[in-house]
Amino acid sequence: MKNALIIFKKEIKEIIKNRSIWLPILAVSIMFSVLFPTIITISLESFIKDPDTNRFILRVFQDTENIERTFLDFIIKQFMVFLLLIPAMLPSLIAPASIVLEKESNTLEPLIATPVKTRELLLGKTLTSMVPSFITSLINFILFTIVVDSIAYIKFGILPLPTWEWLILAFILSPVISFIITMVSMIISSKSTDIRSAQGIGSVIIFPVYAVIGMQIAGLFILNAWFILIACLVLLALCPLLLKLAVRVFDRENILTKWKMK
Amino acid sequence: MIHVENLTKIFGSIKAVDNISFDISKGQVFSFLGPNGAGKTTTIRMLATLIKPTSGTIIIDDKDSFQNPEHIRSILGILTETPGMYEKISAYENLEFFSSFYDRDKIAIKTSIEKYLKIFDLWDRRNWPVKTYSKGMKQKLALARALLHEPKILFLDEPTAGLDPESAFMVRKFIETLKKDSCTTVFLCTHNLEEAQNLSDIVCIIKHRIITISTLDELQKNSGANTEIIFKNNPEKYKDIFEQFSEKNSIKITDNRVIVNISDPKKTNPEIIKKLSDAGAEIIYFNSLKANLEQIYLDMIKN
Repeated sequence: MKNALIIFKKEIKEIIKNRSIWLPILAVSIMFSVLFPTIITISLESFIKDPDTNRFILRVFQDTENIERTFLDFIIKQFMVFLLLIPAMLPSLIAPASIVLEKESNTLEPLIATPVKTRELLLGKTLTSMVPSFITSLINFILFTIVVDSIAYIKFGILPLPTWEWLILAFILSPVISFIITMVSMIISSKSTDIRSAQGIGSVIIFPVYAVIGMQIAGLFILNAWFILIACLVLLALCPLLLKLAVRVFDRENILTKWKMK
Repeated sequence: MIHVENLTKIFGSIKAVDNISFDISKGQVFSFLGPNGAGKTTTIRMLATLIKPTSGTIIIDDKDSFQNPEHIRSILGILTETPGMYEKISAYENLEFFSSFYDRDKIAIKTSIEKYLKIFDLWDRRNWPVKTYSKGMKQKLALARALLHEPKILFLDEPTAGLDPESAFMVRKFIETLKKDSCTTVFLCTHNLEEAQNLSDIVCIIKHRIITISTLDELQKNSGANTEIIFKNNPEKYKDIFEQFSEKNSIKITDNRVIVNISDPKKTNPEIIKKLSDAGAEIIYFNSLKANLEQIYLDMIKN
């Protein structure tokens, strides 16, 4: 574990110096956790006052007593799914970069020639990808909650967050997505030798998350606690398989003889 | 210190290393020579427990290497073909990172880093990112990394490649110091045969299989010696005399200079001089040269 933490600390130092990793995340965070929820929550009143929207809401959400609360809950569910982009995007940027940069600088051989165990190397890389993702994702969920609750309380006197969906998304689904994206990124990027193709891989890996967001916006489904729990279970079942595959890819001999080095 | 027996490594249909065996004692400098693709790096990787042999045994420090890989890696230092440093962090941070994997306290790590950065003349630039370093500086930094934990065995793959003459001299002097201390066993892979000749206790020439392995003295003895004679006149007419003594029929005549390879120069050289004098040759210069490693290497690889 000590060696995994040494790798983790060094990689974090490198990530902090790598703007191409944290700048997009900062932009997405500000957009989906602060900007959009602020605009939507503030403009909610004028939405509801609009007679057409009002009629539409009453038709969709029949028997509602508090129209503001109902509509706000709906909007929150629509927007909360965007927050899944953070735990998906960050590992898809960090994990391939972390592997490809090792290849570009030919540091893998001297690294695996130290007493570090292969599983410690894999754990170090996984932590590097998952810890910033989890922390950033949690900060975003908290920011989103503070923004929405503050404005909703001032405007309507209600605190719509946190909800069960919020808790499951923030503490179960986000880390599971981070883990899966990390493993897939590491497995695939072991085949690439330059940072551009690694980033290409990153953008393709998170496509399923875009698909889920798109399907929800299109109205194919609406997030609820049961739906998210089932998704968590399905994805959790995938985790051991991906871990097994990643451990095989991270075999010393594989790294030296089968990984494409620069 | 290192015992290798019937070591073989096969990649698919390619036999990279074919049944090699050797022993290296503590404190020896073992030069591992061979053309590109001869299996040198594969052998180093097997010895350093980075890849598993297809068959054979490796005992290092009295331990089977594949049952104790972490122990083996903790007592060896390796300089790989390419320096392999993290470019965005400083030289000091690089060394600090790599040395953290060895069982040493922080003060010992700091002392070692300072010691080796000063030895290799990099201390003043310790806080510079490695991407600002020249190729030679990176190579010296990689060598410092290999030495930081005071390894019992040092694997050096082309240690002076890419270095300027001054730095190359510094590295060779350092290897000589290690040799004098007799504490570190050095496994040296190099294409610089002069370097191997000057530093080695044992020379091993490999081309998938071991072609030869012995001390430099034995190699030179077995390869005979060159006798150099410079004549006042054209020496072509004395060719018959040289052919009587040259067992390998290796005679080179250029202008008035003759070089003859002779297996037992101590016995033969006086006889050559006598025969040439009897034949009326006017000799300006006569010298006995030991066969150098380059000649021996080229002969062996060619044959």
